[in-house]
Amino acid sequence: MGAMTLTLFLEQLFNGLQAGVTLFLIAAGLTLILGIMDFVFLAHGSQVMVGAYAGAAITSWTGNFYLGLVLAIPVTFASGYLIEYLLVRHLYRRDHMEQVLATFGLILFFNELVRIGFGPAALFSDLPPSLSHFVEILPNTPYPLYRLVVIGVGLACALGIHLFVSGTKTGAMVRAGANNPEMTAAMGVNISLLFRLIFAAGAAFAGLAGALLGPLTSVESGMGEPLLILSLVVIIIGGIGSVRGAFIAAILIGIVDTLGRIFLPMLLRQILHGSAADGAGPALASMLVYILMAVVLIFRPQGLFPPRG
Amino acid sequence: MTMPVLELRAVSKSFGALKATDKVSLDVRSGEIHALIGPNGAGKTTLIQQIYGALQPEEGEIRLNGVNITGLSIPARVRAGIGRSFQISNVLTDITVLENSIIAEAARRGEAFRFLHPAFSDPDLIAGGMRILDRVGIAELAGIRVDELAHGQRRMLELALAMAAAPSLLLLDEPMAGAGPEESQTMTTIIEQLKEGAAVLLIEHDMDAVFRLADRITVLVEGAVQAAGTPEEISRNNEVRQAYLGEEIQHAGT
Amino acid sequence: MRGVREIIALIRNGMRENRLLFFLLAGFALFPIYTGVADLPFWEDVAMRIMLLGMAAMGLNLVLGYGGMVSFGHAAFLGVGAYCVGISQSFGLMNGWAHLLISIGVCGTLGLMIGYLALRTSGIYFIMITLAFAQMLFFLFVSLEVFGGDDGMSIDRAEFLPLDLYEPLRLYFLIWVMLVLVSVLLMLLVRSRFGVTLRAIRNNASRIQAMGIEPLDFRITGYVISAVICGVAGTFFASWQEYVSPDIMHWSRSGELMIIIVLGGLGTLAGPLLGAVVFLLLEEFLPELLYLIAPDYAENWMIIFGPLLIAVVLFGRGGLIGMLEYLSPRSRGGGAS
Repeated sequence: MGAMTLTLFLEQLFNGLQAGVTLFLIAAGLTLILGIMDFVFLAHGSQVMVGAYAGAAITSWTGNFYLGLVLAIPVTFASGYLIEYLLVRHLYRRDHMEQVLATFGLILFFNELVRIGFGPAALFSDLPPSLSHFVEILPNTPYPLYRLVVIGVGLACALGIHLFVSGTKTGAMVRAGANNPEMTAAMGVNISLLFRLIFAAGAAFAGLAGALLGPLTSVESGMGEPLLILSLVVIIIGGIGSVRGAFIAAILIGIVDTLGRIFLPMLLRQILHGSAADGAGPALASMLVYILMAVVLIFRPQGLFPPRG
Repeated sequence: MTMPVLELRAVSKSFGALKATDKVSLDVRSGEIHALIGPNGAGKTTLIQQIYGALQPEEGEIRLNGVNITGLSIPARVRAGIGRSFQISNVLTDITVLENSIIAEAARRGEAFRFLHPAFSDPDLIAGGMRILDRVGIAELAGIRVDELAHGQRRMLELALAMAAAPSLLLLDEPMAGAGPEESQTMTTIIEQLKEGAAVLLIEHDMDAVFRLADRITVLVEGAVQAAGTPEEISRNNEVRQAYLGEEIQHAGT
Repeated sequence: MRGVREIIALIRNGMRENRLLFFLLAGFALFPIYTGVADLPFWEDVAMRIMLLGMAAMGLNLVLGYGGMVSFGHAAFLGVGAYCVGISQSFGLMNGWAHLLISIGVCGTLGLMIGYLALRTSGIYFIMITLAFAQMLFFLFVSLEVFGGDDGMSIDRAEFLPLDLYEPLRLYFLIWVMLVLVSVLLMLLVRSRFGVTLRAIRNNASRIQAMGIEPLDFRITGYVISAVICGVAGTFFASWQEYVSPDIMHWSRSGELMIIIVLGGLGTLAGPLLGAVVFLLLEEFLPELLYLIAPDYAENWMIIFGPLLIAVVLFGRGGLIGMLEYLSPRSRGGGAS
């Protein structure tokens, strides 16, 4: 019994880690968009969906999963670039409500667009045999290789982003733009191009997350919105504008949410008895992350790791 | 001797390493105009913000009519008798001048929480609103939308709204900022009349106005009180002349 | 007696100044004559749905349009109102008046709690926290298996004695009366000292503070009132649909309400109702239209809504009412409206 629970725990812990890094890939772009450009981009979930569809479609056209995964990145980079150029940059000066409404319109548009392009049913996204087996992370603890790959890719991206932002000149411009856009512009940096590139890069990471998630979840219209909401929770907890905060908060939320859904109902069934526990458990588990966010907002509204400046 | 309307006792506030307010003590009595002057960055606005309630001091006490108000919120202090005009015009721009004063009048009467009768067409509120505008002589601007007003006219509305609730303490934060010479003259006259029945703390850079209006002057430099006294005393104070006033004082003070 | 006469005079004045709203309401009152003569019970049903959505949108408009608070969770109150009916009925309580009272009480309390916590924040934080509360309620009802969970629960039309709602047009006119009441309430509210101050807070909260008023009190009160209005709409939604499920409080429903308000005219009295009319008519006719033009894509008519919304935001300041005012030569003056 104890060993079974340990296996289950480890399995779910890694699942949580995997969920966390995918959330990070989505949240990283969003936190910069919201933090640097003060733009409420609700359609970020749509970028995830675009990436998922691109990955699945290219995989089925070429028969090569890796190709699908890799090509999803430039596709979503381009879509992000276009969206910023055609629509978003006209809305920077508008108030949040108008940004909310306009990007909500984008969500509606994209959700319908994929239905037109690919039909209403979920798209088939399957793993190649090379990625389909299990690996023993501990003796007698098999775990899907693919999820480990996702964790690896996510961590690699996190490292890459960190090195870029702290080590390169462009990264320094991004940080400067985060702390003081006016002064950065005054120093001759092409702010509008910088914004556009940040936006597109954020979209690309979100698209990568979508392509990675394809085999793990269903690729269908509207798949992006639950992830968007979770990402918003992540960046609020992490601190708007902080990529480091987004990373820590994403891992935290990924693990808490995954473990919570499995173990909270179990725990409640030990304490309470009968049908009360059956209802309360799942309910509480799904509310958990929002309760966490509300608590952070009340006690530390700037987030756990706000960017300095 | 009567109690001063405003009393600051050793008020201090720092922003990190910067000591914005350094053990400032002063008082303002009813019927007097007390001017606060000093170079830019001396901490005058920070001090006003602490009196007003927008910032909290770290040390010291702020007393209004003898009552310690250091913990009160802004609206609570306003209801206790503080009126403030802002350095940058802070009026409601999408409605008319009269409508601005009607809202102020309704607030003054504690009626803002009524749900039935239309506010802007209520004869009582209109009468009260016109009275507020009359005090600074802008009654003829009543029907004009605020965003169509000239800058100087907005400053006058700003002043009218500050006085709307007949406060016992008036905080005037550079009321003549950006106003033309004629408007400055008008405002100076009005402020002079204001001090009957109120205590006025005035921040101004226009030294002519300051020396004409002030009964007492406090000079703030780097957050601390460098000198305080009557205009004559200040104009004769050598440190002040060197640090801040230069020649202007010679013209205005004599 | 004098108070009643005053109120009647106020309403008369209000009707004069809000012709569009008056005409819409009159239109809804007369519409059943047409559907009766032409035998179109389907359109009667659509009209009821428009009135209910319009009512909910009017509630949200109070905080969104007049109060400037972007609440992304108002569909939750709609849902809670509906579930009040469902849950009451599962305990044997069939009295519609009781449902109404319960719904007002529950939604008012919920609005007070959420408003008290959320209104301490602003900007994106406020949007997020209202969204979070709405999600919490959504997931709560999804997991309440005892009340249908994901599948929802079916509902009988409530007993609004002395009416029998199963008789023709009874529900229709009950909804119409509620819509009129809500309209009158908002008409009075918006012009009152409270309404004028609330709108001023949206424009410049710091000025209102300087007048000795605590903006939070007004925002919370406005939020509670709007929550109650949405809850009442939800209560009648339950009887109209004869069914309730967590879908009614999905966050995209809040988005729908926002679309309706902005389409009709944010911060106007008739806007929400006009928006509801246009929105639902589009929903009914667009598929037909597309079927004629491009039959292969008829079922994807929704794709119009996205760009339409974007266009309204980018170009259509003030929605349909804004456009009407722009085109009409007379109204060029000020005055609160």
